Amino acid sequence: MAAYLLRRTGLLLLSLALAAALLFLVLRVLGNPVYALISVGATEEDIAAAAARLGVDRPIGEQFVEYIQQLVTLDLGTSFTNQLSVGDEIARRLNVTLPLTLISFALSVLIAIPVGFIAAWRSRTWYGTAFSAATQLGGAIPVFWVGILLITVFALQNRFLPAGGFPRSDWADPADALRSLTLPVLTIAIVAGSDLARYVRSATLDVLGQVYLRTARATGQSFGGAIWRHGVRNGIVPVISILAIQLSTTFVGAVIVENVFGLPGLGDMLLTAIRERDFPSVQGVVLFSTVLVLGLGFAADVTQRIIDPRLRTTLSGNRRAGSRRAAVSA
Amino acid sequence: MPRRSLTAVAGGIAVAAALVLAGCSSPSAAPAAGGAADPDAIITVGSQNEPTSLDQIGGGSSGVTEVFTGNVYEGLFRITDDAEVEPLLAAETSVSDDGLTYTFTLADATFHSGDPVTADDVKYSLERFISEESIAARKRQLSVIDTVTVVDDKTVDVTLVSKSVSFTYNLGYVWIVNDTATDRATTEDGSGPYTLADYRKGDSITLDRYADYWGDEPANGGVVYQYYADPTALNNALLTGAVDLVTSQSNPDGLAQFDNDDFTIIEGTSTTKEILGLNDRIAPFDSVDVRKAIYSAIDRERLLDSIWDGRGQLIGSMVPPSEPWYIDLADNNPYDVELAEDLLAQAGYADGFEFTIDTPDSGVHSTVAEFIKSELAKVGVTVNINIITDDEWYEKIYTNHDFQATLQGHVNDRDINFYGNPDFYWGYNDADVQTWLAESEAADSVEAQTDLVKLANQKISDDAASVWLYLNPQLRIAASTVTGVPENGLNSLFYVAGIAKAAS
Repeated sequence: MAAYLLRRTGLLLLSLALAAALLFLVLRVLGNPVYALISVGATEEDIAAAAARLGVDRPIGEQFVEYIQQLVTLDLGTSFTNQLSVGDEIARRLNVTLPLTLISFALSVLIAIPVGFIAAWRSRTWYGTAFSAATQLGGAIPVFWVGILLITVFALQNRFLPAGGFPRSDWADPADALRSLTLPVLTIAIVAGSDLARYVRSATLDVLGQVYLRTARATGQSFGGAIWRHGVRNGIVPVISILAIQLSTTFVGAVIVENVFGLPGLGDMLLTAIRERDFPSVQGVVLFSTVLVLGLGFAADVTQRIIDPRLRTTLSGNRRAGSRRAAVSA
Repeated sequence: MPRRSLTAVAGGIAVAAALVLAGCSSPSAAPAAGGAADPDAIITVGSQNEPTSLDQIGGGSSGVTEVFTGNVYEGLFRITDDAEVEPLLAAETSVSDDGLTYTFTLADATFHSGDPVTADDVKYSLERFISEESIAARKRQLSVIDTVTVVDDKTVDVTLVSKSVSFTYNLGYVWIVNDTATDRATTEDGSGPYTLADYRKGDSITLDRYADYWGDEPANGGVVYQYYADPTALNNALLTGAVDLVTSQSNPDGLAQFDNDDFTIIEGTSTTKEILGLNDRIAPFDSVDVRKAIYSAIDRERLLDSIWDGRGQLIGSMVPPSEPWYIDLADNNPYDVELAEDLLAQAGYADGFEFTIDTPDSGVHSTVAEFIKSELAKVGVTVNINIITDDEWYEKIYTNHDFQATLQGHVNDRDINFYGNPDFYWGYNDADVQTWLAESEAADSVEAQTDLVKLANQKISDDAASVWLYLNPQLRIAASTVTGVPENGLNSLFYVAGIAKAAS
């Protein structure tokens, strides 16, 4: 396990370094940030002065070295457009994006597990079919469309909830902040929950058809007991990677939802930064997201190995596993 | 799973949903119409025009003008909503006989830090505005400044390189900042009626009333600018009472929902000209006949109807009616398909030709491009549409002049002078126009200036230097409880001190 962890961590750091380098290069290929700053009337001298101020007139190698030096010290630099610290700005935006992602994710799991389970367990009943169809529908509707529908019903037609925005006092009044997040959370949860329910349904169908479950029932265990003792433990392993992927997707999906609801989160920061060619901000947000997504994948892999001993032996690449496989096939 | 557990799960979901929905009990009520104005009411302004930087010299965002000019920072002069120049921090002005030296006597104003506004601050601010690091929008016009000399605490002399009859007008856009202020990325030290209380990038800018303001007290207790990237989100905010007014309605399709007693639609004149810019350097657009043919082949009235529902105005040159040198040229290049065909034949393009319009993906440009494409097809001219981003526009078209035709909304006021610069992106090159425009700036009087610019105005229109499609309307929408909203918004100016809201 220690060797595995070491190898996996090395891989994680390598992926991050590659992502950082690729991001730097792709942004530079896409264009010169000076052109997002100037306005009609700017002269050639103005353009040159702006390039010098941003430091983009220097050789690209020099810029890259500076960028890497900053990254190593965990400094994400300052924004090209407003001179604010990118790190501070990301931290501030997380006040919105993190609760939005986590609550949406928790709610989507709460929806997906019972819905997916019933859709599989009662697949031959009318409500099992209905649940199954609902998850298909929920997963097929674009997330912004769900947002617009919810805004129309709950904000415009009935003034239950705000149509968008976030309190300027942040979380000083949690009820107020939660009110602002309610419709965005529901939007993400409906779409992400439907997706997740599809996975839960097929994982459940898979488990329900297993011989060990029938055997457990034959030994006198109740259906619930058999599911809990054997089904969940076997079914949860694939579900963990799905959950990690889903959490990443929820986080990334918040980008669109933040735009629909005018929420000042990371997604909004990224879109604005791309529009303004504010390289340090784009790099900061994308790298942060990359760390998060890769970190989740890492955590999921490790958790799976803790839960399922078979993964530890067969995939960690040690000799014993190899010999056991040989013994089994013999 | 036993049925009981299922019920428990369902119950859990309900509880979780209820928790998330917590706080739904206090829906935001729409403000009651009528009633006396509340002098301490906070006005929430919805806008799509977020400043990219909080410093005027830091970039070309008109959003910075909308929030700060005249509200937080003040200039020596102030441009009124009717495009007139009136004194502000410059209480008195005298000009030397040769027209080259301006002497300003300063009003007794203080900055928000308590420092008095002095001649040193004026010197610092003007020099900073035209410095090398500045990329302020009006830097070029102000570069006519030669030296700024402090005479005494309250008197400053400004000497110009050459006469500039628009000098005081242009000064209306230059902020006088405290020369001791340092961090302008997040703080300010201006002399206006409001202080910057809070800046949340991507969300809002909050202005508090400045208690010791030297001028008239504002009609409200403070202003919050709330920013929206999406026009629909902005309109929803107005519909639900989350904002009191929107500074500019960029999406004409959204107008109908505000056409009722709860809202006031305010239509003023803008300075935003929708232009089909032609590259006059290259064939076939180096031919006046071809340019005029293109102009006459486009039914601009129908275009304006379809884009702005008939609001806005047809213009026939770069000059809107709010400027002193306006002449009605709307019919100078009339919509006349036969005329267009004749002109094309005359220029040797009886069978038409093909060209590409580079279209920024922002605003209504893509729609306008499609319209032009279908109009020009009628006279045998084939249009290809190439969609680019705004910053690509600055690189490809503005800087590299690598284009045949393009669409752009030119927002600045008094910008006919671009036609006097043969190196400008559209490459219009006419010696007479260059002379008239250069001389107009050095004219002895506003009248003489006006006469000369009118000549240039007529000539660029006769030559169809560009195709001026229409002048955007300036549409603002306010809740009916709100009064005193500026109508015109020249060059994004938006003075908030006069806005009042009825007590709810």
